[in-house]
Amino acid sequence: MIKLLFKSIRARLLPVFLVTITLMASMVLLLSVERIQQATEDGFNQSISGIDAIIGPRASSLEVVLYTVFHLGKPTNNITMKTIDELRTRNDLNFLVPIALGDSHQGFRVIATEPSYFKYVKVGDKQSISFVSGAAFDKIDGAVIGADVAKQLGYQVGSKIHISHGSGESIGIKHDDFSFSVSGVLNKTGTPIDQAVFIDLKGYELIHLGWQSGRKIFNLDQFDMDSLSEKDLKPKTVTAAFIGLKSKLGLFTFTRDMANYSQEAISAVIPGVALAELWSIVGMVDQGFNLLSWIIIAISLIAMVTLIISSIDSRKREMTIYRANGASPFYLSMLVVLEALFIGLTAIIGAVIFVALATYFSTDYLITTLGITPEFDWIDLKEIKIFAIILLAGVMSSLIPAIMVFRKNLHQTLS
Amino acid sequence: MILKTSELSYTYDVNRRISFPDINLEAGKKTLIIGSSGCGKTTLLNLIAGALKLQSGEVNLASHCYSSLNSSALDQVRANHIGYVFQTLNLIPFLSVIDNIALGVKFSKLRNNRTSDIKQEIIRLITSLGLSQSVLKKSVNHLSVGQQQRVALARALLGKPNLILADEPTSALDQVSSNQFLQELNHTFDAKSQAVLMVSHDLTLAPHFDEVIDLNKTYD
Repeated sequence: MIKLLFKSIRARLLPVFLVTITLMASMVLLLSVERIQQATEDGFNQSISGIDAIIGPRASSLEVVLYTVFHLGKPTNNITMKTIDELRTRNDLNFLVPIALGDSHQGFRVIATEPSYFKYVKVGDKQSISFVSGAAFDKIDGAVIGADVAKQLGYQVGSKIHISHGSGESIGIKHDDFSFSVSGVLNKTGTPIDQAVFIDLKGYELIHLGWQSGRKIFNLDQFDMDSLSEKDLKPKTVTAAFIGLKSKLGLFTFTRDMANYSQEAISAVIPGVALAELWSIVGMVDQGFNLLSWIIIAISLIAMVTLIISSIDSRKREMTIYRANGASPFYLSMLVVLEALFIGLTAIIGAVIFVALATYFSTDYLITTLGITPEFDWIDLKEIKIFAIILLAGVMSSLIPAIMVFRKNLHQTLS
Repeated sequence: MILKTSELSYTYDVNRRISFPDINLEAGKKTLIIGSSGCGKTTLLNLIAGALKLQSGEVNLASHCYSSLNSSALDQVRANHIGYVFQTLNLIPFLSVIDNIALGVKFSKLRNNRTSDIKQEIIRLITSLGLSQSVLKKSVNHLSVGQQQRVALARALLGKPNLILADEPTSALDQVSSNQFLQELNHTFDAKSQAVLMVSHDLTLAPHFDEVIDLNKTYD
């Protein structure tokens, strides 16, 4: 029966091949959407990693994550340096990296922090942030720029930049009396870090020295830098702080302590939890894509059934000869169902191999352009389930032509 | 007795009912059924082949009464006891000549077991039917009509089914080839176990047969 089936398929190679390709293409689409969705979600949830908590002013955790991780929106409140200093004395902390937001450079957000940021803050699957060229700032006028900033503005190590007050070029007034010098350019991470400019907190404090309530009181170029002490350059407030704990087990105690912190209204946000919460909102788009691929698969299945039904007419002779030689209508129906099974299986195997190879060869490209890292995997359990459903649907839909063959041949005469 | 039909009739619709003469076929006997187009020749063959459901009357083939069999049992009776030759287009284009002939025993254990060496038997049949062994390797599409009909006949004869049913197998052949075809059928079929029932509109074929039944006469 299998031999007959293959010989019959070989005689109708082109139409069968085309339908198999159609079905395969739609499954490649489903598989790609599914893999990219997974990789995007993973990438999103790992927009920041290596830190256990983010300390911010008491606000919704989404807000804190939005401005600290995605550099979107404005912090409503700051935390005083006094609180930060006091937190530093806790002995369950491994590290604390304060950040201050609010300024920008040509539309890119400026993050004022300490050099240890680049040591502790990680992206993706605990990958350190690395430098294409240069290194972290060690002087007050040093700046580190993300990969996109370097690419779009054509900066390299040594470029001079001015920082603007506020988040946009149009509304911001330049701190044009003090320029920063790029000390390092970061590798692409696929996270908001690529679109950020990092400066030292001391430098941040310096350019704000002459300012009060967003207005410039005096110019820095008329200022005697040497008269400034380390204490003068210590910021009074920061926006948030990234925390690493010595032991993950201490997370619960730590967040509770922060919630009950009496001196100031602060809270600790667990980034993974907040990011997952955020993804449940922005991930809706992917659901739409998923639905779309299922629709395409349904269309492909309809194409397969159409092919089988239309081929039945051209195979009438073949079927009649089998029948005259004693083949039962059941046998003929099985031929049809097996053909659908064969087409479905071939398409699935083809799609899996195609996507695996495509993933394998395009991983580097995807990391650098989209910042997503699709996992190289032949097939996982969830996909096996999806394919089982498709195969079942294919066989079920082939029952329509199979029943047609069965009924036709049962009443058909041998002429 | 191989085939015995009694009081067969078939109603196409309310106005058209055909009654068929009773047919009795013993081993070694060859019967020709003559009739013009539309007189029910093919219907009669389909009834005997079990491809049409009996409406009235009875067919008894190799001791199987059709009225008592369900459709799958009928398929099995057909596979075991009938070799069928169509008017034209007997062969499956994507199968080789030898695979086409081997289809004759594919659906019947009985016929398969009866043939100890299928390939040897196929060679014997085609040689007896005037074909050379080299056609076995040929594509079906490269055979002449006469060759195709001989291949179909070889398939019908393979495994020695009791009844060879042939629906105008010579209609696409000229007079000389037709006579040759029937002579070859004559000396190839096994007179000890097989009988031939052929349908044609061509009365000139009559000398090759033991009995001729004319369907143009009415048998009411």
